[in-house]
Amino acid sequence: MAVQLEQRPLDEAATSIIETGLRPERSFGWRDLVTPAVCAVLVATEIWYLSTRDLDAVEASQLEASKLWDQTIQHIWISLAIAGMVLGVAIPLGVLVTRRRTRWIAPFVLLVGNVGQAAPTVGLLAIVGGFWLGFWAVALILGAYAMLSVLRNTIVGLQQVDPGVLDAARGMGMSPTAILFRVEFPLAVPVIGAGARTALVLAVATVPLGQNLGAGGLGATLFAGIGQNRDVTIVAASLFIAVLAVLMDWVGAMVQRLLTPKGIRAA
Amino acid sequence: MSDTKDVTTTPQADSGSDAAGVPIVLEQVSKRYPSAKSAAVDEISMEIPAGEIVILVGPSGCGKTTTMRMINRLIEPTSGKIRIDGEDVLSLDDVKLRRKIGYVIQQIGLFPHLSITQNVSLVPRMLKWDKRRINDRVDEMLMLVGLEPSEFRDRYPRQLSGGQQQRVGVARALAADPPVMLMDEPFGAVDPINRARLQDEFLSVQEKLRKTIVFVTHDFDEAIKMGDRIAVLDQGAKIAQYAAPEEILSGPANDFVEGFVGQGATLKRLQLERLETLDLRPVSAADKTTSRVPINATLHGVLDEMIATAQESLVVVKDDKPIGSVSLDDVLARVRELRAEAEAKEGA
Repeated sequence: MAVQLEQRPLDEAATSIIETGLRPERSFGWRDLVTPAVCAVLVATEIWYLSTRDLDAVEASQLEASKLWDQTIQHIWISLAIAGMVLGVAIPLGVLVTRRRTRWIAPFVLLVGNVGQAAPTVGLLAIVGGFWLGFWAVALILGAYAMLSVLRNTIVGLQQVDPGVLDAARGMGMSPTAILFRVEFPLAVPVIGAGARTALVLAVATVPLGQNLGAGGLGATLFAGIGQNRDVTIVAASLFIAVLAVLMDWVGAMVQRLLTPKGIRAA
Repeated sequence: MSDTKDVTTTPQADSGSDAAGVPIVLEQVSKRYPSAKSAAVDEISMEIPAGEIVILVGPSGCGKTTTMRMINRLIEPTSGKIRIDGEDVLSLDDVKLRRKIGYVIQQIGLFPHLSITQNVSLVPRMLKWDKRRINDRVDEMLMLVGLEPSEFRDRYPRQLSGGQQQRVGVARALAADPPVMLMDEPFGAVDPINRARLQDEFLSVQEKLRKTIVFVTHDFDEAIKMGDRIAVLDQGAKIAQYAAPEEILSGPANDFVEGFVGQGATLKRLQLERLETLDLRPVSAADKTTSRVPINATLHGVLDEMIATAQESLVVVKDDKPIGSVSLDDVLARVRELRAEAEAKEGA
């Protein structure tokens, strides 16, 4: 026969079937620094551009450095708070949905998640803003919007754990709680982490929409720019928000990889 | 882990002295699922003697795995009693019960996020053994299954071949020195060459440890090779025959067993006969050129060698030194003896 087929030992084939089916996370390396480097260049360029331009009084007050910095910090905290709330609600719900005894809640939970994501955020903010203002009003609406990504990934992440691994864990005498925390969660970190990052980015990107409800953050500068028709301000605020979203995703990726057990990280 | 210290499951024996097996008794054990018409397991009763490998073999869906999984209560029996060493398992805490029963499955189920050491030491850690003892035990277990501890301790499962993974699976199941082991097609996912090697190695490990082992397979040849006794199960885990391999091969109880034994029962029977049991002829000068077989070969192996080399006589060697010879007539004489024995038994 002319065709030489690659002979893979059965042993090896069996190994790859037995593997978790996860795409292994790679280890840390210089490539991880590309994202922050690009962000730094973008921000530096923007600052240099602003410094070479003659700003009028309105622009100068809108783009005051210390104000922007405070808003950025505020923006980060609000986004983290929203993402944290989302994780705190969505992960336990995802766990309940995948337990045999509480599986029946799945349709309800997914319905709420879907409605939260499908409902137009801006509309909700407008309606709720009519009678409820402040951080919590914004956090609730934006949290509902971001929840589905974490919920879905938690469910998928827990469901994709190899049934053979779970059977062995049970058969060896691990308690259900031990199996959840010592087997299922560690093996689901890459998938749940991806959902959490999505939630975080959604939060960073949508916090400015909550500006009229008094959410705070860089949205104040963005909407001031829009309100007074200052393109320089609009571009600067938008750029900072976008860079912030990318950087938060990057930090999330690093944390996710750090939490991923070494055994399921790629060498 | 928030487990309270379990007094009953803290063996104080040194890691050197291993606990031998204890008997398991099933009394009219049944499993019915609400949605199914017939019982998955229908009132099975059997005694599994201490220190033996008992094989549950049968077609898929016959309830053999269900029967096995009821012993460590991964499946709760609908009715009946299961006793391990006289103790009713249904009266015990199921999680703690399982820590005293080794568990090996076809999918192996090593924890991919834990190192080999962490995998093997899992049950001893749950049983709160002290650190030193656990470390010694891990090395001892890896050595037992033929993996060099210094090379494998810190690896992760995905860095091992399938055969090596299942060795770790066996080491993990044996780590807390359970008197009883449940094995569900443990070598089913391994390629045939490695499977035979793992089987042989496991048998020699068992020779030392003398655990009570319930071993599920659908492969009758594996059953013959591994089993001290074989229970051939029909639908609903009805025991069609429960006997030593030799007995099943020479006297299948009914058509179902005969069908399951399959073609070539006589040849399979010869897999169980060792060359050592024959009186060897002295080596003659004429034997110089004939092929060799080791003294620990089976008659099946001898016959195979004779056919392969088209020779009626082979030189028998021990440690590479010729100690005698065996001829086709010797083998046939032994077959006649076996047949006579079987007929005598059937007549009785």
